[in-house]
Amino acid sequence: MEPVLQIENLEKSYKNVHAVRGISFSLREGEILGMLGPNGAGKTTTIQMCIGVLTPTSGEIRYFGKSLFDHREEILEKINFSSTYTHLPWNLTVKENLTYISYLYAIKNRKERIAKIVKIFRLEPLLKQKVDELSAGQLTRVNLAKAFINFPRVLLLDEPTASLDPEAAKYIREFLLHERQNFQVSIILTSHNMAEVEEVCDRVIFIDKGEIIADDTPENLAKTIEVSHVELLITDGLKRAVEYCREENISHRVEGRYMWADVKELMIPNFLRGLMDKGVFYSEISIDKPTLEDYFLQVAVKKQ
Amino acid sequence: MKIHRIFAMTLRYLFAFRHNLDRITDAFYWPTVDLVLWGLTSVYLTSSLSRTSQGVAVVVSGIVLWVVVWRGQAEVAVNVLEEFWDWNLINLFVSPLKFSEWIASFLLIGAIKAAVSFSFAMGVAYMLYDVRVFDVGAYLIPMGILLIMTGWWFGFLVAGLILRYGKKVQSFAWTLIFAIAPFSAVFYPLSVLPWWAQKISIFVPTSYIFEGMRTLISGGTLNFSTFALSFFLNIVYLCLALIFLYKSFEKIMDKGLGKGRG
Repeated sequence: MEPVLQIENLEKSYKNVHAVRGISFSLREGEILGMLGPNGAGKTTTIQMCIGVLTPTSGEIRYFGKSLFDHREEILEKINFSSTYTHLPWNLTVKENLTYISYLYAIKNRKERIAKIVKIFRLEPLLKQKVDELSAGQLTRVNLAKAFINFPRVLLLDEPTASLDPEAAKYIREFLLHERQNFQVSIILTSHNMAEVEEVCDRVIFIDKGEIIADDTPENLAKTIEVSHVELLITDGLKRAVEYCREENISHRVEGRYMWADVKELMIPNFLRGLMDKGVFYSEISIDKPTLEDYFLQVAVKKQ
Repeated sequence: MKIHRIFAMTLRYLFAFRHNLDRITDAFYWPTVDLVLWGLTSVYLTSSLSRTSQGVAVVVSGIVLWVVVWRGQAEVAVNVLEEFWDWNLINLFVSPLKFSEWIASFLLIGAIKAAVSFSFAMGVAYMLYDVRVFDVGAYLIPMGILLIMTGWWFGFLVAGLILRYGKKVQSFAWTLIFAIAPFSAVFYPLSVLPWWAQKISIFVPTSYIFEGMRTLISGGTLNFSTFALSFFLNIVYLCLALIFLYKSFEKIMDKGLGKGRG
């Protein structure tokens, strides 16, 4: 099946700065793709080119098999965008914003659609409030309502749950999954919340210095990190345990009777046997497998 | 161009007008202040210098007609500026809205608001000074069209500057139009201008309108060729201003309409 979005050799340069260097990727129907990377990696630049508000230096952006540059109007009717970092007219009420935007997209049964979207994003009490009277979390929900108003087939969401409280963020994640499940909406999502990306994204592309350095599932990316975190409640032999870690050059940390050690997954049995041989006793053990956050941190550390 | 998108943008600017005291002030307060201040000044000067009462009519009519130019340009320039202040350009152009539709909404909202302010100022002029601007009859229609055209192209020029140079030139939205007021000869005949200023005013389309208005007030008749010349100049400037605005828009599309991050 043809991807709903196909990016080929996308580049953006500002004078001598290469913000995006020949990025290529695709988005399938009903797929949720996470776009990760450190600050300044080129994520926002890439997204802005994908929604047609930034002219690429070179490269091709195709939605539904058609070039964005040649079929801009037709394509933009079927996609939408929301970002925590863009604003809506501050002196218009929430209802006025949704009303004029609904006319921009020529929504059929406009009033019903606005009523439905208002209900989904819990905006009823805010309808008569001006945008500049809203909290950051409320504004995020209005931005999301705006993004869903035209029944988009492709959505680009720049940190959609930033500024939301945990309950509201969970609700939005569930809503995104519901839309994907029921309407095959395809979503590109950037987020600094790695747990969120692991929860909702089918695939992740990792951008650094304007290039894609990884393209895989969240699980597979995390698996590239070999080190697991082993947490032990040591009842006897704490000093010997620390000594052992130093001898074996194992990164570790101690707080009270608890010790955390970073151990390669395959070496965990050897690590535990070594502690036993040193006469170390523990009453609790927990092993955290590597996560997407570990992958992110590893890349960020390399960058520094 | 799609009518529903032009309507959407017109609605967006009308909503903003409703909530914004500054914009309401611009539309009604300043024309009233100008009429009271300069109207009374001309009443005093006319009576003290024992001249005909036409002096009052000339000044008051000048103020009323200038409202059309001023509102027409301010609506274009200030609305572009407001999109900058609101960081809303990205939301507009991620929708199917075309640049030409955005421009068309400016033309429409500019014409609506200029008509409202003009009608209001005409009413105030009649109530305060018994000056009946509408007495010029059908001439008002071509005059109004030519004046709003000047407002539009000047507004596009200022909007282009705002898009290129951002908020550091934002005061142009309210001030730059007054640069052509002396050469338009709003309150006095062109003949009182120094020779070099008269040469410049040949290229200012509004100068033909205000001169025509004075001719009508003094009982003369108008030669339509002056309107034709004003129309020709307006069309040329409108085309140039639109090209400049479009090039400015392309320039910011190259930098990005969104807040730069990441």
